[in-house]
Formats: sequence, C-alpha cells, structure tokens
Amino acid sequence: MPPRASLRFAFLSLVLAGGIAPVAQADTVTVFAAASTRNALEEIAAAYEANTGDEVVMSFAGSSSLARQIEAGAPADIFLSANPGWMDELEDKSLIVPETRNDLLTNSIVLVAHDAQAPKVEIGAGLDLSAMLAGGHLSMAMVDSVPAGLYGKAALTSLGLWDSVEPQVAQAANVRAALAYVATGEAPLGIVYATDAVAEPGVAVVGTFPADSHPPIVYPVALLAAAQGATAADFLTFLQGPEARAAFERQGFGVTGD
Amino acid sequence: MWGLGAEEWQAVALSLRVAALATLVSLPFAVFTAHLLARRAFPGKALLNGLVHLPLILPPVVTGYILLLLFGTQGPIGAPLKEIGVIFAFRWTGAALAAGIMAFPLMVRAIRLSIEAVDPRLEQAAATLGASRAWVFATVTLPMILPGILAGGIVAFAKAMGEFGATITFVSNIPGQTQTIPLAIYAFLEVPGAEGSAIRLVLISVGIAMAALLLSELLATRVARRVGGR
Repeated sequence: MPPRASLRFAFLSLVLAGGIAPVAQADTVTVFAAASTRNALEEIAAAYEANTGDEVVMSFAGSSSLARQIEAGAPADIFLSANPGWMDELEDKSLIVPETRNDLLTNSIVLVAHDAQAPKVEIGAGLDLSAMLAGGHLSMAMVDSVPAGLYGKAALTSLGLWDSVEPQVAQAANVRAALAYVATGEAPLGIVYATDAVAEPGVAVVGTFPADSHPPIVYPVALLAAAQGATAADFLTFLQGPEARAAFERQGFGVTGD
Repeated sequence: MWGLGAEEWQAVALSLRVAALATLVSLPFAVFTAHLLARRAFPGKALLNGLVHLPLILPPVVTGYILLLLFGTQGPIGAPLKEIGVIFAFRWTGAALAAGIMAFPLMVRAIRLSIEAVDPRLEQAAATLGASRAWVFATVTLPMILPGILAGGIVAFAKAMGEFGATITFVSNIPGQTQTIPLAIYAFLEVPGAEGSAIRLVLISVGIAMAALLLSELLATRVARRVGGR
C-alpha cells in the first residue's frame, strides 16, 4: 500500500472504530502502583472501566523503581506508593499535586510459616525465633532497602530479636520472592505483608507484629503534576470510594480516612 | 586495602570462589556435551541442544525459580541430595550451581565450534592406526581444541562473575554466603549514600573481567602457536 493510501486506511478505521464504540471519547488513565496492591487494583480498575467506559492502564513494580521512572518523565497520572519516602521525594521535586495526596491504605507485617499446622504465637520481646527456625532460614525482603524488609528489621530490632536472628536471615530481592521461599518450603518462616499472606495459599500466618514495633505502614496516593484531563482525578476519587474500599479490604489492606 | 570494607571484600572473595567452582566443575560436562553435539548423531539431539541453550533464552529469574523448585531442599532433586548431605539452597554452592547453569551454554558453544573445526580425517587416521575412541579424543582432538576450551572457560568464568537474576532468586542475598559482587552492587545501589561502595565494586569487577580477558588472549595465542606448530 502506498503511504497516502495507508494513511487514509488508518483514518478510516479510526472513524469506524469511533463510530462503533458506545462512548465517543473514551479516556485513558495511567496508574503507577506498588506491586503489593496489584490484586486489589486490578479488581477496582475492572469495575471502573465497566462503569465509565474509560480505560485504566496500570504498571506495577517496586515503589522505588516507579518513583525513579516518574522522575525520568514517565507518562503516569496517578502514583500509589508503598512507602511515604518515595512520595516525599516526588513532592519535593513538585511532581505531584500536593493537595491530592493522602494516605489511602495501611498494611501490617506478619510472621508466616510453610507448615499450615504451625501453632500461632504472640509476637513480642520473649519470642524465641531461633528455636522456631530450628536451623532454617528466616525469609525477608532485603532489609536495608526494600520497604517490607525495612519494616521487618525495624520490628525485630525494637523487640530485641534482630541480633540473635540476623545470621539466619535470607534476603530476597522483593517481598513476593521472600514469600515464595516460604511457600516452597525452602525457609520455614518468613516476614511479609499481611496482604501477601492473604494472596498465597502455601503459607500460614502464625502471628502479626505489633503496630508499635515498626513505623506505620501507609500507602500514600496522589495525582501527578503531569496528569491531564478530568478522568485521572475522577479515578482518584473512585479509589477512595466504597467500592474500592471493599476490594482493598478483601485483600487484607486497612483503609484510612472517612 | 583500596578503602574496601569487610563486606565488600567478602563479596569479591565469594565471587571469585563461586565463579571458579562453577567453571571448573562444568568444564568436563561442557566438553562432553559439545563433543556429543558436534560429532554424534542420536535421537533427541535437537532436544539436548535446546535444553543446553535454555538458560540463555529464559529470563534469569525463571531459571533461578526452576532451580529453587528442583534443587531446593524440598525439590525432587534437592531432597535426595539433602539425604547425602549436599545442600544448595541459601549456600555459596547454590550460587555456584546457578552461575554454572547460566554459563554452561556459552561454554558449550565455544567448545563445540572448535571441535567442528577439527578435520575429522585426522581422527579417522588415528583410529585406523589402532587408537581407541577415548585415546583419539585425548591425543588428537583435545590438544587441537584447547584454545576453544580455554575461550569457553574464560567466557563462562566472566558470566559466572556477573550472574545476578538466577542467583538472587535461587539462593537469595546473604552477606558472606551468597552475596556475590553483582548482588552487593544491587544492594548498595538501593541504599541512599552507599553509591561509593557500589562504584568501588564496579571498578573491581571491571578490573577482574579485563584481567581474565587479557589472560585468555595471551594463552589462546600461545596455544594456537603450539598447535599450529609455528
């Protein structure tokens, strides 16, 4: 096909497609979200698309990678971060709309076991983790960089357990990989988000870390300064509505604010 | 020395140990496999060829996950091995296994090419003079493919030094146990203010890689000269 003809063909197909679609001007929202929110967000996006006919495009990765991509000019409209630090960084660089920022979700960290029959324990200063591990490894996300690992290390440190258990910690690249070590039985115990434990049938929760043993785990969300059109703001509102709240809660998140 | 901290030295020493073990142990298997692929016709040859190349094509994380499933202490291969005291998961030997598997296709390719370049008539001549198959290989083929083995070994060593995805997935990141140079660089880069450590390790790995390449060039020229009889 000569170039002119192919152009005409492309234009014609666009016109036809527009004519057939029920909504003449379907809009697209691009959401960058922390990997741990995937299951809930996919459900919410499907509901939103069915309601409005608009399209929600989502990219899931570690909050640090996503924040760096946004700094580098990635065309996103909304950012949902698993860690306030990265949102602070974007706010400092005026990349978000500050008045739209709010702490959408909370999470907790739990001790999970491979053995479904493992007895429940009270997590506190008296917990004998080394005995529970019986020479095996404690699976965690990287304790100096990945948020789930940072929270876990903070909790173990504040409970006075870190020094005794440190040599037995196996650090995975991210929290889902840490979960996989427990699910496959390679590590008898692991520390992951409560939401990850919900998503993985191969592990059993044996205890929840007290909320005051680590910094609060909050997920801030905000509209990005580069966002265009009213649809992005509309989806942000939807994320805070009752339908989204139910979906988040089903995945084990706490939803803040009322 | 050179302002390296204990953790950085640990990573360098561990990487050298892992890469050396991976290369030395897989080398005989690679020569055997390359010889099979270059010289023999047998059913399932295409399948073997595919299997050997799989780690080159699969995402390293997938290879690492497959290793975890197979060679983990609960896996179909790892469980019986554990009975006789061989454990890979979360050990430096596991890092060597991952590095060896990832480097294997590169090694086989280099050696296979050099075997195919050997004139089969030389081997046939030795056989007509009464040499057994093994003797032909040891006295005729092997000396001629030494440059290929050397090249394969060096490339595999370099690959093993740099392996990241399969290693972190299979044996995780344990300082002193499985934290090789690439894993240490990755960990340092994720922590604000640790860029200095990362850059020192980057420079060291560049240095090791260059030294290995120069050494291989030198050896290859020497061997080629000796084999060529010039």
